[in-house]
Amino acid sequence: MITLEEVNKIFLLPHNRKTTLRQRFVSLLQKNVYEELYALRDINLRVDEGEFLGIIGKNGAGKSTLLKLVAKVLEPTSGTISVNGDIAPFLELGVGFQGDLTVKDNIFLYGALLGRSRNEIADKYDWLIDFSGLERFVDAKLKNLSSGMQVRLGFSITVSIESPILLVDEVLAVGDIDFQQKCYNIFETFKKDGRTIVFVSHDLGAIERFCDRVVLLENGQIKAQGERGLVIAEYLANTKPTKILCE
Amino acid sequence: MSSYTETCKQRNPLGRRNYLYLTLVMAITDFKIKYDNSVLGYFWSLLKPLLMFGTLYLVFSVFVRWEVENYKLYLLLGIILWNFLSEVTLNSMVLLEGKASILKKIYFPRWIIVIASSLTSLLTLLLNIGVFFIFFVFSGAHFQSSSLYLIIYLAELYVFVVGLALLLCSLFPKFRDIHHIWEVFVQLGFWATPIVYPISIVPKKYHTLIFLNPAARIIQGCRQALIGPGSEFLSFTNHIIIISVVVCLFAVGLGMFNRLSRSFAEEL
Repeated sequence: MITLEEVNKIFLLPHNRKTTLRQRFVSLLQKNVYEELYALRDINLRVDEGEFLGIIGKNGAGKSTLLKLVAKVLEPTSGTISVNGDIAPFLELGVGFQGDLTVKDNIFLYGALLGRSRNEIADKYDWLIDFSGLERFVDAKLKNLSSGMQVRLGFSITVSIESPILLVDEVLAVGDIDFQQKCYNIFETFKKDGRTIVFVSHDLGAIERFCDRVVLLENGQIKAQGERGLVIAEYLANTKPTKILCE
Repeated sequence: MSSYTETCKQRNPLGRRNYLYLTLVMAITDFKIKYDNSVLGYFWSLLKPLLMFGTLYLVFSVFVRWEVENYKLYLLLGIILWNFLSEVTLNSMVLLEGKASILKKIYFPRWIIVIASSLTSLLTLLLNIGVFFIFFVFSGAHFQSSSLYLIIYLAELYVFVVGLALLLCSLFPKFRDIHHIWEVFVQLGFWATPIVYPISIVPKKYHTLIFLNPAARIIQGCRQALIGPGSEFLSFTNHIIIISVVVCLFAVGLGMFNRLSRSFAEEL
């Protein structure tokens, strides 16, 4: 279960950012000018166990910030976030990969980054290789794999770590059609398994297909939440209808 | 995939995370990447202090002559220990910067990076000490019972160095040039610590100042434990002084790191 209470996240955008002592010293006399950017404002949200929650909204609405806060990568400026259970973050796949190591080594490295022990990863190893379809490449250096394969590997590892909570940020857009199908099948099983999934996507088809409840974010605030059909309709209504010129 | 509910819940009911393995994997990966791409592999980690030793030994045993018994061993041990300090403190900042992209996406306690970096250097230190013992045996020195003090000193040095690294790393994302500043400090410290020269050539009134640095006390202690002469640094008081300074520094470093590491994802 995930609960967010009165969560605010402010990013300070300095007009001239100082990252060294020298810069600070030189500009001691100048006043710091910051612009406050409310990435998230007054977020109250509860995700129940076993729920498949969709989050939609335009670019910059705060969707990814919300996921990062839940994943503990970012700290909220104010408010409390409590998460009950381990999280598998699908924020960006394969972010810890080392190109110079073999695929096998990378599996253990990435698994460790996600907090798994050697035995736990070893248990899942065969399944994972099979799922990713990379049997022939286990001993190849990762940098020699195509970017699509790398993402597939990252996805397979994250899926295999068996966390009760998954945070998915628009990752399905990458793989080929077969792999996307595999991913959707996996999500179906996860749903049946009773795992909690927070799913950020621009793919309204996928949102409609999986999510029990949908949250619409706009400028860092929750604009609407509830039954998927209604929220999606509201989102679409707010989007200016662009006329597509045919012929 | 429904095995999730059966096997995994049994093995790891709370989905608890295993950070010990992560620390080890990170240290090993770091070591592999650091040396795998060079022809001599990790022999570089041995060669670096040896080359430095060769140069300094040449200068200070041919051109300048100190009145030190076993100067070869005296110098080599000093260099190896100082090298450990410089490597851990500087590399941990480099590693922190290198892991920025991961820190922005995946949560794990940030101190793992510092510990992993220190373990990589600890391995180098132990290999180097192995090389030192080869020199030690060939130069006809003998082990005494006091040699065992070395282990205590190394433990003190490790805590000291990790404390320093935590302190530096906690400030690093906000003040990037602390890396350059610290590089200069390490150089200064190298000459402000009796590594190359014997402490006897320093006027007495500066001794207190020099031995404010726990590293100087540890290095002198290691020397007296292994090659002598004298035993004033093997005393209980010396340990008390080292341990109290080191523990205070470590506590401050850890406290600051825990506070400041929360915003690493935004600042790096």
